[in-house]
Amino acid sequence: MPEKKKINIISWLKAFNKKYTIGIPLILLILSSFIFFSLQTNVFEPGNISRLTNSNFRTWLPVLLLTMGQGLVLIGGGIDLSNGSIVSVGNVLLALYVTSADEPWLNLAIVALVIGFGLAAGFLNGFLAVYLGLQPVIVTFATSFIYAGLALLLLPSPGGAIPRDYTNFYRNTQYLAIPISLIILMVLLLIWGIFRHRKYGRFLYAVGGNPKAAYTTGVPVNWVKISTYVLSGFLASLGAISYSLLTGSGLSGSGADMMLPSITGAIIGGISFSGGSGSIIGAVFGGIILGNIRRIISIVRIDSWAVTLVNALVIVIALAAPGIVNLLRRKK
Amino acid sequence: MEKICLVTTEIQKRFGGVRALVNGTIQVRTGEVLALVGSNGSGKSTLAKVITGVLAHDDGQIIYRDEPVSYSNPMAAQKAGIMAVYQDLSLVPSLTVAENIWLANEPLNNLGFINSRLMNSRTKELLKIFKNTFQSTLHPQAYVSTLPPDEKQIVEILKAVSRDPEVIIFDEATASLDSNQVNCLFDLINQLKQENKALVFISHRMNEIFKIADRAVVLRNGFTVGDAIISETNEDAIVKMMIGTEQIFENGTTSFVDTGDAETALVLENVENSRLSGVSLSVKQGELVGIGGLRGQGQSTLLHTLFGNQPYDGEISLFGKSIQFKHPKDAMRNDVAFIPGDRATEGLLLIRSILENYHLPSWRKYAKPLLNLKQAKKDANDVSQQLNLVMESLDSPVSNLSGGNAQKVVIGKWLMRNPRLLLLDDPTKGVDVGTKAEFYHLLRELTNAGTTILFFSSDDQELLDLCPRVLVMQDGKIKADLSGDQLTESNLISASMGAHESVKTQEEYEHA
Repeated sequence: MPEKKKINIISWLKAFNKKYTIGIPLILLILSSFIFFSLQTNVFEPGNISRLTNSNFRTWLPVLLLTMGQGLVLIGGGIDLSNGSIVSVGNVLLALYVTSADEPWLNLAIVALVIGFGLAAGFLNGFLAVYLGLQPVIVTFATSFIYAGLALLLLPSPGGAIPRDYTNFYRNTQYLAIPISLIILMVLLLIWGIFRHRKYGRFLYAVGGNPKAAYTTGVPVNWVKISTYVLSGFLASLGAISYSLLTGSGLSGSGADMMLPSITGAIIGGISFSGGSGSIIGAVFGGIILGNIRRIISIVRIDSWAVTLVNALVIVIALAAPGIVNLLRRKK
Repeated sequence: MEKICLVTTEIQKRFGGVRALVNGTIQVRTGEVLALVGSNGSGKSTLAKVITGVLAHDDGQIIYRDEPVSYSNPMAAQKAGIMAVYQDLSLVPSLTVAENIWLANEPLNNLGFINSRLMNSRTKELLKIFKNTFQSTLHPQAYVSTLPPDEKQIVEILKAVSRDPEVIIFDEATASLDSNQVNCLFDLINQLKQENKALVFISHRMNEIFKIADRAVVLRNGFTVGDAIISETNEDAIVKMMIGTEQIFENGTTSFVDTGDAETALVLENVENSRLSGVSLSVKQGELVGIGGLRGQGQSTLLHTLFGNQPYDGEISLFGKSIQFKHPKDAMRNDVAFIPGDRATEGLLLIRSILENYHLPSWRKYAKPLLNLKQAKKDANDVSQQLNLVMESLDSPVSNLSGGNAQKVVIGKWLMRNPRLLLLDDPTKGVDVGTKAEFYHLLRELTNAGTTILFFSSDDQELLDLCPRVLVMQDGKIKADLSGDQLTESNLISASMGAHESVKTQEEYEHA
């Protein structure tokens, strides 16, 4: 009797996940958040939940932005291993040139430059991977070194200081108890939601699902694929801005640790390496789940290598899953 | 009202060294159904893809509505009103029926959002064209990956029709449909004809062509070889044009050794797996058995299963011994050879030399312990001579060879192992006539020497000419075992289409 019930729950979960695709990530999100909050002392003291939410989201926002971009590229059937290095370049540029709050126009120009760099770097990735038909893994792996090298050239040793006024604004601003980092995230998700229900959304999923079929149906396949890399570069530049506002200083290798979790988050969120499935909101959920896991690991004082281990395991399992399924089927 | 809508003149298309189309010349008129006829690999699909901008042609001219055009991509052709229903479907499996039908043609509201409600209701409207022909109700929101082949084909058809094009090319659109569905399609085509659309209908099924088409253009080996007005011609005349005067094979079933009292070589009892649903057969030593039927009915899977490439349930015994192959190497140890259909991906290492390709399955024979290259080259030269392979040297890469010669290398590499059971998976696809004749000759020599051969071909004529016995497959089962007097084209075709249905269509066709 209890066994039968268990099966029912699983099949219900499956149906739920198929219908909404974010079902399982949502459940994991709730579960991991619950564990995180239950490990905190004094959660229910006034202001504590809001304080924790703010400190979590302002830390996570850079990686979450990268995860959104990575999600777009993965859904379109590619992969972007250079998004972390784009963050590094953006962070270095901001730390070097945004030094005084008295020059808003100059600062704005630098921000525009960072965003422009993100777009250009994304376009270069897309051009190489799509127009020249090179392997996205190899191409973006290679360009990641170009961007990382550029960051190191600009700022060989850590330094720079972003004005306090700016960093405080990012770290502490809240509207209706919602931190600004979370608001930015929700606005971006809303914008994506709009595009998802226009032609672009359909094209993206069609291109990832079966590029040849999409092409013969008249979908501008190359254009859509390149746009995913450009969007990934754009979101990485936003990631660079938020990262810089979070830390207030520049580090040439700042984005290096963000690439892996951006892939893992997207995968946990239900996007597959083969493209054409999953959702961006799912990817964001995946990123938040990873953030929770990272926090939980540090609270219970497990070494930080465990975080990398979790990331790597998720990717290996996601890559191996189709193969394992085939193997089991064959054995049978 | 009929006027010329689309003209292609001397279209040429090459794929590497293979000439898929040398002279594709057709005229399509409005309010008319033009049948494009030809055997497999005659260039029909290539011509269709050139017209719709999927492939860029090398030479020739396309005139559409009195203006020369050249579409560099399908989008441009679609905008101009040219659509095709493709044989290798152009559907995205991870999207729903409605999403596929309206892909790149989504109904939008004023703000540019996709109007899902309108999309679904229009899809329901379109599905009514084929109402009552589905196994269950085909829902607009069903994922295409979950649909059976016939319903996928219908989605593909509706996708083309939903765009309201001026020219529609139906490329083998009926291949996976049952007779009710075909009737619905024909009603649709007749209606489109009334609306003055220009229609091109590509099919292997003669009766369908005579039922629906007004005119026919015949293609053979990439050449337009003739055209005819359907009401003024008959099947024989068209078949004659398809085959040509060239006698590929001197009616030779009689010259085969009589296998009447030979030993049984291969027995299958109730073999089942994902694509096979209970195959039982028995083949004698030295027998050449053809496997026929429409494409994709489990023929390739059967051969792959025999080669240890697919898990299965059931009994297989080979040369009197019960076997259970788990890997192609098990099959190879038992003197089984498999010649795959897609030589570029399954048969050859294109960038490596002819010699290396030859020895891939049998290098062990020459490792003593260093590779005995002298002996290897000698054997390779012998096989090349036996196959009449035209090559520069054994060291030149296979990619330099033409299609027919490349296929010879695939065959040669297995002949070097002296197989006792030879499995052939549609090996003459895209091979020129001359090479085909040599190939038939070779197969006959092999069977005379006692090799047992299972030969799947998608070309019915080839089966009829070459094989004294043909097994027809449908839905993963053997539908008919034809030999002797029973082995006729009409029996072969009716068995391919499932005896039950075909009787009906045959009658319909005679009444029409």
